[in-house]
Amino acid sequence: MTLYRKSVLTVSALAMSASAALADITILAWPGGAPEESLRALVEQYNETKGAEIGSKAELLYFSRDNFFDKMLSDVAAGSTEFDVMLTATYNVGKYAPFMEPIDDLITDDLRSVFPQSAIDSQSFEGRFYGIPTDLGVHFLYYRTDLIDQLLSDAAWQGRYAEISEEFLGTAMQPKAPGDWTWDDFMASALFFTKSINPDSPVRYGTVLQLKNLLFNVMIWQGIAASYGGDWLDADGNITVDSDAYRKALALYKRLVELEATPADSLSYEYAEANGAFGTGRVAFYTQWSAAYASLVDEEEYPAIAGKFDILHQPAGSEGIKTHFHALGLGINAASEKKDEARAFLSYLGSEEAMKMYIDGGGQPPVVGRIVEEVAGDRPDMVAMSSHAGDYGHVMAGGTSASALDIYTNQAENFTGYWAGQFDIDTAISNVEAFMAGEFDK
Amino acid sequence: MRPWIDRARFGAGMNLQQQERRSARIFLVSMCVFLALILGFPTLANIWFSFNEVTFHNLTGDGFIGFRNYRIALSDPRLWDAVGYSIKFAVICTVFEVGFALLLVFALHPLLLRRPWLTAILMIPMMVSPALMGVMYRLILNEFVGIVPGYLEKLGFTLNFLSLKYIQFTVIAIEVLQWTPFAFLILLTARQSLPYDLEEAAAIDGATGTRFNVLVVLPLIAPAIIIVSFIRFIDSFRVFDHIFVLTGGGPGNSTTSLSIYIYKIFFKQNDLGPAVALSMTLLVATLALLYFGLKLAVRRDPA
Repeated sequence: MTLYRKSVLTVSALAMSASAALADITILAWPGGAPEESLRALVEQYNETKGAEIGSKAELLYFSRDNFFDKMLSDVAAGSTEFDVMLTATYNVGKYAPFMEPIDDLITDDLRSVFPQSAIDSQSFEGRFYGIPTDLGVHFLYYRTDLIDQLLSDAAWQGRYAEISEEFLGTAMQPKAPGDWTWDDFMASALFFTKSINPDSPVRYGTVLQLKNLLFNVMIWQGIAASYGGDWLDADGNITVDSDAYRKALALYKRLVELEATPADSLSYEYAEANGAFGTGRVAFYTQWSAAYASLVDEEEYPAIAGKFDILHQPAGSEGIKTHFHALGLGINAASEKKDEARAFLSYLGSEEAMKMYIDGGGQPPVVGRIVEEVAGDRPDMVAMSSHAGDYGHVMAGGTSASALDIYTNQAENFTGYWAGQFDIDTAISNVEAFMAGEFDK
Repeated sequence: MRPWIDRARFGAGMNLQQQERRSARIFLVSMCVFLALILGFPTLANIWFSFNEVTFHNLTGDGFIGFRNYRIALSDPRLWDAVGYSIKFAVICTVFEVGFALLLVFALHPLLLRRPWLTAILMIPMMVSPALMGVMYRLILNEFVGIVPGYLEKLGFTLNFLSLKYIQFTVIAIEVLQWTPFAFLILLTARQSLPYDLEEAAAIDGATGTRFNVLVVLPLIAPAIIIVSFIRFIDSFRVFDHIFVLTGGGPGNSTTSLSIYIYKIFFKQNDLGPAVALSMTLLVATLALLYFGLKLAVRRDPA
């Protein structure tokens, strides 16, 4: 055997023994966008530092976003060990809790110095903790600053605004700055910027609604219902969807659809389509998940709105400003055979060092104000998110129960049916209430 | 080169017809064993689930509950909306697919005899996965970034194919565009199997062109038309992918086919038992339909 061959064999044997010492864990995480990019960087860092120290290596696994939770449910129900760390979300932690390992031991003072208690609670179910929060989801009003500035300064536009609002809403309204908007102002502005109503509008549509029969779309809409005082349940646990608040919020979307202030194919729109519509510069404003900000500021991807838009809280209803909020997180698959390694990774994930790195990569974790202030210069969305979740955040009563995901799905079917004219409002609401009654054993 | 079946040994003491039947049995048995292995387990598991109280937390079930899952599933009025939609969708798609395929066969048969490779081009839509087809059309038809609305706008038309007004037309058109090639392929094969003598004899009798196609070709390829119609009906009845990607079964439940409905009650309502009971019912109905279709189309030689 030559010296060369001996060397190659020796190096190979060493490499094999080294890799055998590493217990690989697999992390099933939320795919696409900033969360994926920042988690990839974080995992790489973990493998080089903490992971290398303890002889553990993490790798990532991604399904597509379409029906992500159904695929994950099938896997965990079948006792799959293909992944050790899995995704959690505020609205379905109850559904997945039976398939997860509680991580109460990881909720330490160190962790509390990184995340506020509300964020930690967003990953809990029946007093047990199941996940380390990674991404906060709230809703912003994304609006074109150039258009709104002109509206607030141009007398001719203001006159037309008053005419349109009087014609369609029965009151001659004056435009306001988006920070002072109620949902009536949102509606009036949407009509003003819709070309079919106001041919002088520089954009085609006032707003873009995402109305595909999809549960996440209901989450965006329900901030309106909450701002009028709507909730799933009252203090006694009675179902309260059949309320003025819900009817008002449902009717607002219906009116926008009927008056074509949103694209005609909005009924097939979800996150990507709505971003695309706003990003092409043909829509004046819309409400969207906070995660969209990181994409929309990319001037190469969205040159039409580069430097021309800003974010704010959603408009107010009679009960003030509300936004749905939730946090995604990572927890441990109960069937995992490498729970200790998975715990070690989650412990690292919850550290200040890891979260700062996650923010650098574009992630939006729900961290404490001290850390947010440190990153405020580079990440204005983090500041807005943090304050919005704290000041306006609303979780529907029962919105973290084991049935929450199914209730959202049922609402999506019935409410989009109403907006499309398939059902009347009474049918849509009574269908939802009947379903919720079954889920909550009423 | 040695033939893989030694005819002298294999068919010793048999006439040609017996040899053919024996060969057919061997091929059929191997295919049936393969199918039993691939499809048998899920089918048996589904039968078990459909008569049991199963949940995601307890996939083995708590015990036999008779036909309760079937009763629950069949008593939901939303089921019948989904069945109605699936039937309408399947009938319309089948009529258009088989109709277009027939027209294509009549029009392209002479050309494809000379240039058979062109058939491969016509098959391309069929090779795309239906889910991908949905994603493609979601982009192509999007008002802001889609190619089709973009060009139509340049021509002065504003047409939104994914709007409420056109969505039913769009989902049917996508299905027809994708699966007409399948019907075309079957009917083309049937057309090409007709002997050329027949065409000559018909021409001598004065039947050419449309007359020949309607009076001679159509009756002769009728069994293929029946079979392809049944297959396309069954396949369209089970539609899921592109509709789910494009509309999620909505708005409301206006595009919820039976398959989407079953998916929803399984994953979104967590009613595993009724969902599986429905899929078993669908399987039995499909098999019955195929059986009658075959019976209608295939006449066995009494010998």
